[in-house]
Amino acid sequence: MRRKNPFIYYGGKLAGLAVSVFVLSLAVFYIARLAPGDPLVSYYGDRAEKMTAEERAQAEERLGLDEPVHIQYTRWLGRALQGDFGISYKYKTDVTQIIADRLPNTLLLGGTGFAVIFAGALAVGALCAWNEGNLLDRIICKVGTVVSCIPEFWLSLVLILVFAVQLRWLPSSGAYTLGGGGGADRAVHLILPLTVTAAGHLWYYAYMIRNRLLEELRSDYVLLAKSKGLRRRDVLLRHCLRSILPGYLSLMAISVPHILGGTYIVETVFSYPGIGTLSYESARYQDYNLLMLLCILSGSVVILSNMLAQIISERIDPRMRGEMPAEVTEHG
Amino acid sequence: MFELLEVKNLSVSFHTPQGEVEAVRDLSLSLHPGEVLAIVGESGCGKSVLCKSVMKLLPRNARIKAGTILADGTDVTRCSQRDMERLRGRLFSMVLQDPMTALHPAMTIGAQIAEAVRAHQPRMTKMAVRRRVLELMELVGIDMAEERYGHCPFEFSGGMRQRTVMAIALASSPKILLADEPTTALDVTIQAQILDLLRDIQARLGTSAILVTHDLGVVARAADRAAVMYAGKIVEIGTVEDIFYDPRHPYTWGLLRALPAWAEEGQPLYTIPGMPPSLLHPPKGDAFACRNEYALAIDYQEAPPMFQLSDTHFAATWLLDERAPQITPPWRGASYE
Amino acid sequence: MSEILLDVQELTHCFRLGRNTVIRAVDHVSFQLRRGEIFGLVGESGSGKSTVARCIMSLIRPAAGKIRYLGVNICDPGQFRAHRKLLQTSRQLIFQDSAASLNPRMKVADIITEPMAIHHIRPPRGSLRQEAAFQLKCVGMDPSSLDRRPGELSGGQRQRVAIARALSMGPELLVADEPIASLDVSIQAQIINLFQHLQREHGFTFLFIAHDLAVVRHLCDRTGVMFQGRLVEIAPSKELFDNPLHPYTRALLSAIPIPDPRLERARVPQRFDPAQFCREGLLREVSPGHMVLREEADR
Repeated sequence: MRRKNPFIYYGGKLAGLAVSVFVLSLAVFYIARLAPGDPLVSYYGDRAEKMTAEERAQAEERLGLDEPVHIQYTRWLGRALQGDFGISYKYKTDVTQIIADRLPNTLLLGGTGFAVIFAGALAVGALCAWNEGNLLDRIICKVGTVVSCIPEFWLSLVLILVFAVQLRWLPSSGAYTLGGGGGADRAVHLILPLTVTAAGHLWYYAYMIRNRLLEELRSDYVLLAKSKGLRRRDVLLRHCLRSILPGYLSLMAISVPHILGGTYIVETVFSYPGIGTLSYESARYQDYNLLMLLCILSGSVVILSNMLAQIISERIDPRMRGEMPAEVTEHG
Repeated sequence: MFELLEVKNLSVSFHTPQGEVEAVRDLSLSLHPGEVLAIVGESGCGKSVLCKSVMKLLPRNARIKAGTILADGTDVTRCSQRDMERLRGRLFSMVLQDPMTALHPAMTIGAQIAEAVRAHQPRMTKMAVRRRVLELMELVGIDMAEERYGHCPFEFSGGMRQRTVMAIALASSPKILLADEPTTALDVTIQAQILDLLRDIQARLGTSAILVTHDLGVVARAADRAAVMYAGKIVEIGTVEDIFYDPRHPYTWGLLRALPAWAEEGQPLYTIPGMPPSLLHPPKGDAFACRNEYALAIDYQEAPPMFQLSDTHFAATWLLDERAPQITPPWRGASYE
Repeated sequence: MSEILLDVQELTHCFRLGRNTVIRAVDHVSFQLRRGEIFGLVGESGSGKSTVARCIMSLIRPAAGKIRYLGVNICDPGQFRAHRKLLQTSRQLIFQDSAASLNPRMKVADIITEPMAIHHIRPPRGSLRQEAAFQLKCVGMDPSSLDRRPGELSGGQRQRVAIARALSMGPELLVADEPIASLDVSIQAQIINLFQHLQREHGFTFLFIAHDLAVVRHLCDRTGVMFQGRLVEIAPSKELFDNPLHPYTRALLSAIPIPDPRLERARVPQRFDPAQFCREGLLREVSPGHMVLREEADR
């Protein structure tokens, strides 16, 4: 078998990433300016509406908004390449600083949420497949359907009502207690948002795992594995999971933005200072510089996670290396 | 005589939305040590179901309704899941029809055979397992075993994959090998090699085998005894000489006469009229009666018992009853040119 | 000697595997079909026989070579367009797996008459339904099946429906790609008899692709043997089976199990090592109608 040079291999992937991010930034830059709205409102607030035409023109010139879009873009790109992404119109500070303040919170919530969903779905799906058709399987399936139908904000409110207001076990909002902020404190603040995030997404992936596993369990190689004398557990864990993992990993990697994005509602309800709220605001208030960096960040996350998924799949499944097509012999 | 495998009055049913499908109906059969027993029949006659019943690898909607399966003295029908896991591989193992789907697509050949070796010898050292795997690969005729140890199934041809499946099946030296249409998905030249390999292994290791097939040519090449199955029952069983040179059941006659190898030039082939019955509601009496040109009135009323013709030869047709009219069999035994 | 209906010349087709591997699925294959004969094409999986069939049916455009059908070079797009209707109606294909090739949602009557509807052919027997009923009868089925769907039929019945559909166009050339491989022995015999009967009645030319040599010997007038994309031997069937000349043909014939235990066990199949196979060379006529692939040096 031919082995690829790792430098060429990963270098190619990185070049692909750079090109994708460039195209993405171009698209976002133009589309953002097509959207209706007034960027001056986010900079000057209510004052913007009372400005005279002359004042407006001055303000636009100062923000560099009076020039044609492609010149704006080249200037932005030039600065961005040097690490200067501009200032936020709304917060009037460096965008990198704003994002740097909030990113850890989102990463904490999204990251743990993602891990919980990933592992939980695998466990629940495997448990259901193992007990196919039994009471447990049916109960989990029913509960899952019901829970995934509950809107996130409603579930959040109910949880806040029960655990924060009535029982006073858990805090109702924020990422940490003001003044405090140790690890334990953060963890306590994370419980409710995490529960809501996981409850909303887990079932979909768990069903997928369950159905894929059942499909695998009906295939010929499982029959052969059983006839070797392998234990049922080993067949399920070693053979079937191995078959579905590449697909699952790819799906999860593609779902990274979906799950991170899904935390937006949760962040809002729990007043959790994260990226979700920030993205929404930046788009709503035409905060161009902030929007650009957020889009590039999330775009890179999508692309990187897809690449990661592909690399993992190739490691697990040799057929994915693209050296051999699946159908080697022509039939007949 | 000690029987390695004894199936007694076995009935297996599938529960489908349309109703109960009686795939195997009151079937009895025995396998002698060191022989190859072929089970011949058309698709849907229950021959594969019989195999899977012995291994207890039936799909979830199937149920063994009645009967016992004594394998080396153990009644398989009463075994728990755990007991079966201990028996599979060591007492009996299986070779499947399609080697393209029977192997895990993403595991190396070596790892898959090694898994079978370790299944019953978990304490074996890595080196010993590897040595055993290479030995098995050599046994089934995979040359350059060292190099091919790390190959994946997609790099193998159909014949090589079937050899791998055989190596897996033989890993724990089973006493019974159940081969379910092992050559159907292969080319003729490969088929001949695999059949010879089966015979060779059987002779060297003394393994008994059940060879399920629809091809009478395969039976002639590889089997010692043959059982002809129709609609969930065995209609005739005997040594291959009995079956090919002195068949007694009208269905066996039909199968043999329909072979293009015996057809006369320019003449149409002999065909058995009609189609096999649905096992959803099996007909009363002899299931073959409505396709049988020699059917007697009693065939539509009552299923025939097994008549013994010799020590080895049995057939289930009313034609063998002493009250039945004498007929000249249309088939006087195989003779090739 | 009767007229040549199909003339395949130096047909070549390659499949690309990955970046650097190219497989020659069909490699300079030449043969002729005479009007009204049954020609068998045999070979193992991967020998390219299905690819030949697909090229003849214009499902694949070959990389090189010519296929003349009734004098029309069907590999030439211009000529193909000019004779599209003739080509599409008078050549018909029957697939191996009728379960997959018949639309499960259509009724039998619609399946049989769909080609007529597509080509706007007025049914010769009144309505489309009457036409379908007639064709069903021709293939030995009861008209009561007209309103059933493929899923309700057995494998043999489905294959009969596929044959009826092909015959409804009154084809000159029928190409059948392993039409009986997925059927049971007793049903196989029924379908072979049906082919033989229909061929005698309609007189169409029949290209029968199979791996079961006993069937080919019984059914076909002439037989071609393919190996790794090359046609290694062509001969009248009887001649080919009695006197095979190419070592591969010999190995192939010796591998067919004979349903006679005493004979079969005494036989030692001949091996053919693919490494010895010489792709180069030309088909040479050694006796009337019997052609074998020979190297130049062998002469």
